[in-house]
Amino acid sequence: MLKVENLDKTFNTGGGNVHAVQKVSFTANDGEVVAIIGASGSGKSTLLSLLGLLDSPDAGSIDIDGVQLANLDSSGQTKYRSTQVGFVFQQFNLIPNLSAKENVMLALEFAHWPKQDRSARAEAMLTMVGLGTDKADRRPAKLSGGEQQRVAIARAFSAQPKLILADEPTGSLDRSTGQKIVALLHEAATQQHATVLVVTHDEKIAQMADRRLEIEDGVLKEIA
Amino acid sequence: MRSVGVVVILAVAIALSISMLIARDAVTTKINTVRASTGNTITVSPKGFFGGQGGGTPLTTAQINDLLGLSNVTGVQESLSENLTTTETSLKSPTLAGFLGRQFGGSGAGVGGSSSSTTTFTIPVRVTGTNSPGNAVTGGANGGGSEKLTSGKSFSPTSNADVAIVGSTLASKNKLKVGSTFTAWSTKITVVGIFNASSTFTDSDVLMPLATVQKLAGASGEVTSATVVVNTIDNVASVDKAISKKLGSVADVTSTQATAEAQLAPLNSVKTISTYTLIGSVIGAAIILLLSMLMIVRERRREVGVLKALGAPNRSIIMQFIAESTTFTVLGAIVGFLGGILVSSPITSALVNASGGSTSTGVSGFVRRTGGSGFTGGGSGFTPPAGATGGGLRFGGLHSTVTQLHTSAGWSTLGFALIAAIIIAALGSTVATATIVRIRPAEVLRSE
Repeated sequence: MLKVENLDKTFNTGGGNVHAVQKVSFTANDGEVVAIIGASGSGKSTLLSLLGLLDSPDAGSIDIDGVQLANLDSSGQTKYRSTQVGFVFQQFNLIPNLSAKENVMLALEFAHWPKQDRSARAEAMLTMVGLGTDKADRRPAKLSGGEQQRVAIARAFSAQPKLILADEPTGSLDRSTGQKIVALLHEAATQQHATVLVVTHDEKIAQMADRRLEIEDGVLKEIA
Repeated sequence: MRSVGVVVILAVAIALSISMLIARDAVTTKINTVRASTGNTITVSPKGFFGGQGGGTPLTTAQINDLLGLSNVTGVQESLSENLTTTETSLKSPTLAGFLGRQFGGSGAGVGGSSSSTTTFTIPVRVTGTNSPGNAVTGGANGGGSEKLTSGKSFSPTSNADVAIVGSTLASKNKLKVGSTFTAWSTKITVVGIFNASSTFTDSDVLMPLATVQKLAGASGEVTSATVVVNTIDNVASVDKAISKKLGSVADVTSTQATAEAQLAPLNSVKTISTYTLIGSVIGAAIILLLSMLMIVRERRREVGVLKALGAPNRSIIMQFIAESTTFTVLGAIVGFLGGILVSSPITSALVNASGGSTSTGVSGFVRRTGGSGFTGGGSGFTPPAGATGGGLRFGGLHSTVTQLHTSAGWSTLGFALIAAIIIAALGSTVATATIVRIRPAEVLRSE
């Protein structure tokens, strides 16, 4: 279970301070898909960066299954990112010179999965997201956008993280493919009991989530 | 395409480094070889004579033998060169006078004099008396040639017999064979050996025992040149001073070490140039690699951010880029090594030529003019005896051209270069990657 309390993040820009995230508090349960919607610049991506320890908050706390992430040192943060969090990006961000399977195996390597298990696990994850073995050895450039995002989802879930952070995962896809991707995230979250936070500005995509949160000027509120 | 460009640029830098390394090795080897072969002898000549020009008084065997008592002197070789005119010998010179002979040789039967008539001038036959005939002949002795005894035998160093070893051209002209005789100074001389030096000038010479020439030429106890052999190169300077002090104003003392150093000056210049170019090209290669890796790493900031987001430790990211840069370097090294080996020889030659090095050397002695007050001719001095450092000093000076270099790439050279290249690659990529791993992933990924 994810528990966030009074999270704050301010950026000092040339034009003054920008309060990207202000007093954000919420909880999310295992297997739950939570959509965070908001306009561009509202602070939703910053919130995701803070939750994934890609950036550090100015104040507040993040708790996953009772572990306070604020107390982690640099190596602890690296370990957290490799084992407890999975990222899905809008631009997929697959490693271009690795095959689909190797991209998944790379995440398993960082998570220190046993070497002998990585190949089978990667194939299983690719199968789970609907990519057959014929696509496993293809490099990202040889896959469609939807297929690349499936590989990214397989990579994100491969090390069985407790939290999946998806930043505009459908932003580069057509509506139909986007809906399939969100459905896939939902299915994977249920199957692996992971909490999924999906940042989107697409209301229809957000409606597929279990809960919806809206962020505006860094302030988060629940949408009924 | 970018990777190919990096490899090509690296290959060029490595090729330049390798060619400079090879050039430097070749020059260093040549310098060491020349020093080893020439550096431990000192030539002593009568004062005022060099290259067959000048005037003065011949040295004596007694003066030269005194030099054996000097510290660090291991041997002394003496020679007396004479020119036999047609009135003094039955031998006919195989060399036609030609324009140069008339210009430098004089006229008529005389040598070095002047005459209004040049049409009857005949080149005299040069006779060298030596107390080191074995080395003189078998080691390549007379006039900078490479004499080989082709038939017969040599004479003993202390011989005073009326015997001679004659050059093949002279033998052919006068139909001489081993056992034949000819006349010199009204004395019948027996040919005991024939040598060949592949040089018309040298093959027209006669070698005889020193004592015999002194006796027949009426030059008892006289020598026209001596070579003093020093035990080590390091002692040449001190022995040089000691000889000058002992003989005073009657002799010119020329150290072959000094001569060799003068001859080696262009090579030392090339060595310096190649050393600085080597350092420059290595630094250039390092800068190229560093800038290339900085460019590559900066272009892949997003990838680095993604890797960090996936939980990759900094060490792992750095190692990945080091592996890539090492791959570039090894590929560049393979191409560069081949290119460097191919261009090393012409580059070395160009450097040597550009340094203004001469292509031949000649430390000549002189010939005492028969019964006269002047001297002419050239070519004396002897091969040092066995035990002289390196051996191989040729009669008449440095035999080989110092600027004829043999370039070769040894495994140790290539191995050293490869290791240096990989270390530079590792350092370059580490510095480049270290600048990126400090960036927080959010900063990189925020630009989406």
